[in-house]
Amino acid sequence: MDDPPSLARLLAGDRRAVAQAISTIENDAPGAVDLERELAARLGRSRVIGITGPPGAGKSTLVNALIGEIVGRGLRVGVVAVDPSSPLTGGAVLGDRARMSDHGAHERVFIRSLSTRGHVGGLARRTDRIVDVLDATGFDVVIVETVGAGQSEVAIADIADACIVVCAPGLGDALQAIKAGILEIADILVVSKADLPGADAASRDLADMLRLRREARSVPVIKTIATRGEGIATLADAALARADERGRGQRLHRRRDGNAHADRVLRLATRDPFVRTLGIDCIDGGEGRATTRLRVAAHHVNFNGGCHGGVIFALADAAFGLASNSHGALASGIEAHIGFHVGVKEGDALTARATEISRGNKLATYRVDVTRDDGTLVASFGGTVYVAARANEPAPPPASAASGAR
Amino acid sequence: MNIVPKVLVTKIGLDGHDRGSRVVAAHLRDAGMEVIYTPPWQAIDAVVKLAVEEDVDVIGISSLATDHRIVPKLMRALKEAGLDGVAVIVGGIVPDADEAMLIEAGVARVFHPGSSLDDIADCIRSIVPALRRVRSVDWKEEAGA
Amino acid sequence: MNKPLDPVTLLPPAAGERWRSEYAEQIGRDRASENRSGIAIKALYTNDDWDGSRYDADLGYPGQEPYTRGIYATMHRGRTWTQRQLIGLGTPAEYNARLLSLIEHGATAISLIPCNSVFRGYDMDEVDAELLGTCGVVVNTADHMDTCLDGVDIARMSCAMNDPSPFTLLAFLLAVAKRRGVPFASITGTSNQSDYLSHYVANHMFFRIALPGARRILADHIDFCTRNVPRWNPMSVVGQHMQQAGATPAQAMAFTLATALQNADDCVARGMDPKTFLSRFTFFFDISVSFFEEVAKFRAARRLWPRLLRERYGVDDSKSLRFKFHAQTSGVDLTRQQPLNNIARVTVQAMAGIFGGLQSLHTDAYDEVLSCPTEFGARIAVSTQNILREEAHLTDVIDPLGGSYYVETLTGQMEEEILRNLAIVQDAGGMYAAVESGLVQRLIGESARRFQAKVESGEETIVGVNAYRVDETADDRPPVQGVDDDAVRTHLAAFAAWKASRSQAAVATALAALARAANAPRANVFEHVVAAAEAGCTHGEICATLRRELGFGHVQAMV
Repeated sequence: MDDPPSLARLLAGDRRAVAQAISTIENDAPGAVDLERELAARLGRSRVIGITGPPGAGKSTLVNALIGEIVGRGLRVGVVAVDPSSPLTGGAVLGDRARMSDHGAHERVFIRSLSTRGHVGGLARRTDRIVDVLDATGFDVVIVETVGAGQSEVAIADIADACIVVCAPGLGDALQAIKAGILEIADILVVSKADLPGADAASRDLADMLRLRREARSVPVIKTIATRGEGIATLADAALARADERGRGQRLHRRRDGNAHADRVLRLATRDPFVRTLGIDCIDGGEGRATTRLRVAAHHVNFNGGCHGGVIFALADAAFGLASNSHGALASGIEAHIGFHVGVKEGDALTARATEISRGNKLATYRVDVTRDDGTLVASFGGTVYVAARANEPAPPPASAASGAR
Repeated sequence: MNIVPKVLVTKIGLDGHDRGSRVVAAHLRDAGMEVIYTPPWQAIDAVVKLAVEEDVDVIGISSLATDHRIVPKLMRALKEAGLDGVAVIVGGIVPDADEAMLIEAGVARVFHPGSSLDDIADCIRSIVPALRRVRSVDWKEEAGA
Repeated sequence: MNKPLDPVTLLPPAAGERWRSEYAEQIGRDRASENRSGIAIKALYTNDDWDGSRYDADLGYPGQEPYTRGIYATMHRGRTWTQRQLIGLGTPAEYNARLLSLIEHGATAISLIPCNSVFRGYDMDEVDAELLGTCGVVVNTADHMDTCLDGVDIARMSCAMNDPSPFTLLAFLLAVAKRRGVPFASITGTSNQSDYLSHYVANHMFFRIALPGARRILADHIDFCTRNVPRWNPMSVVGQHMQQAGATPAQAMAFTLATALQNADDCVARGMDPKTFLSRFTFFFDISVSFFEEVAKFRAARRLWPRLLRERYGVDDSKSLRFKFHAQTSGVDLTRQQPLNNIARVTVQAMAGIFGGLQSLHTDAYDEVLSCPTEFGARIAVSTQNILREEAHLTDVIDPLGGSYYVETLTGQMEEEILRNLAIVQDAGGMYAAVESGLVQRLIGESARRFQAKVESGEETIVGVNAYRVDETADDRPPVQGVDDDAVRTHLAAFAAWKASRSQAAVATALAALARAANAPRANVFEHVVAAAEAGCTHGEICATLRRELGFGHVQAMV
């Protein structure tokens, strides 16, 4: 076997290292935080183009053509293709890249497929950080493709510098898109398969819709025939120009503003002496969620030689407390319970992931899954908090210039 | 670490019959796995590039018409690309004499016609944890680097 | 008081009641059964289900509308079905040896199946050598075709070529005919696999050129053959692939009929007269082991086809309305476990085809599922047909299952189910549109998954696989047909030498003319393929030229 991937190889652009870096982030693997820290200083050079639209609009075929066009200009292109997971089984068939085979084999192209894994918004949970990997390792353009048919599938707008919404003629896509509100995120509208009847009508419908909106910015409507390469150069020009106009790396500024929850969780974790005493680390946080880690040491062990149940409980409870306090209101636990599924021993590395199940005015409930690094579910924790009317932190000082990366 | 197996289901060589590979891909999805599915006639280089970029755990080759004869070529290409940590399973029509040859070339398992879809899924689930452990990465900057 | 007798049956009405109650009592828990097309099957069929009162409308006589009982007055009594066994392996010399041997054992027509490399449009020097000749014969030039047919009287023997657009194998055959002084008018046979739509959907093996290009070349091909090779059937509409890909028998038939209508529409759009080409349309179907269902499927189609043609094109001459078909026993039903059982399966499938009224039959060898068939297996396959005809005398009576309460009821039900599926396709804009959008592929995939689920649950039994299993080792399996790697290497070397020695100028000229024709909408591309074959162009060169000009075929990846 080759040398294992390393940071050095990653920054040199080694394909396997890039792929493994994406996996580390996608799976919240140990090292994800270190990795993100290393990459932070190298972000902001890529132009990120989002492509979305209803199923069947021909997005993947369009992306294929765009890849060809952009590679033809001597640039490196990274593609992230997101497909929805099955709500029943959690599995997914990731078939987008199969339609990009014309150019997918090119040396300057990197394609990664992601499953949404149940996450809402149309993207996988860590898509923005995965785009970061491609940004930091020197891809000039990153294309993110996802399915977007309704108002809830607009997360793409947050992570892209320019957002393309694709409609196919004759299927009523244009009208549906108008109704569903997805047009609002579009910087560019595309009518794909423009050789089909109804292309002109769809184009007109979209143009009319745009005129009714009161926004100042102009949104071009571009017709494409991807299989013949028609309209592709125009589309590429428009997308790259729009991304440049916004400013590369704009997405990072937007993200900074939205990081309040994550920052709060990490801050609260540093203020918790008990958690520090036990050796529990908080490795991630966000709105209504938190992740903690612990490696079972000799002093965590009970009289039977296994990990003390109280330690596992504390790990889960720590995540629970942080997740429930992530919103800023003081949350106190009023009930918690745990079930232990398998034995844990010294040396095992445990991760507790807390997610919010429900949140009302006064009460909120959380679930915490504790897993071992081999993927086994070790314990299941549930808890309820009472939400007070006051904050759990003193008010921050007035905002000054953004400090450092994140 | 998330242990959802990521499986590539593909066909190399010249045959285009893909009923079997489609049925397997759908079943693995229904079993909760992430499946990259490609149409037939994939070039070996393309399969290797895909396996690298997607960081797959397992490659499932469907072979019905003697295309298995070039699987050893695939195994060599995977090794060269540093992917011998990826398990390869072959399903389809493989004469007995050739099965031994494939195992020797590094194929993890050969599934013959009539194999149950659950067996295939179970096999993949049992292989994956072992592979993941082998492939964890430390991203810290090396001391002195 | 006495119950009145039923005037039609003259049976006391109580008999049926009595059977029903005895049956219910004795059966305990009855199993609900439905056939592969989803039609519910009962325990007993009587004249309550089909009473024969519509004999003329529903059955008629062989050779006349509604054709249910057969397309010819004499059917297999007059002319037995063609025993057209698929042969293809290794090099042209090996093919020729196998062909001559099978002809000796009773095969009455030729069907040539080329190597997968040929299907994909490549010459032998463009692919991995390990993959050459494993499942079909490597034919890349007219010379190769000549060797394949050495010692065969092509003026008398019907030659089916399994070759899709651009039909180079037929072009090679015509070049050979010219060399041997055989007029094109004497050449008989079929362009099997000329159906680009079913290939795109379900057996992409045969799909080389992008859909629009394939569509155009097919029309050119039909046009050329209608004018120059009048006894050749240029259009074989294929249902086999879709059924093998998982379509139910009724679906496969429906989609096939839809394809035929699409192709006919395309010809009419070019200005061709339906009367000139419809009589040269033939069909190619799969025969599964679901015996009665297959018989009913074929009878229903034979009855449906003339109605569809009359409705759509206004034709009513018997030549156009006859539903001619070749059928092949389904390899998908065969098992690797206890392979000799496959002989029984093939027998049942063949019988269903014969009772279904086919014109031409290929029976699979029992070892087909393990590799390319051995000579031993191929012989048994032909013998099976001989036994059915000459020992079991299956051809002594025309349409012997006609009039069976079950078979007539089922024929009617299959007809409905076929029409229902046909409507789905027509509503989607016709077969071309339905295939382009992926609708047909999705429907077939669903049927495939449903069937697999039934096999996994045990609801559908497969002997030796999910029931009646035995432990088998490699010793229990028959020896497989290997590839003679030495012969392939020699073939490759000879090919290289031949390429170097032919007239490059003639080749270049012919390919340039072909390319120009591809870009000229009114030119006949196939005519130029024939010319190119004669000029010494190889199969790969012809395909590469057309792919370049008309687009490479991409199959949709769908699960």
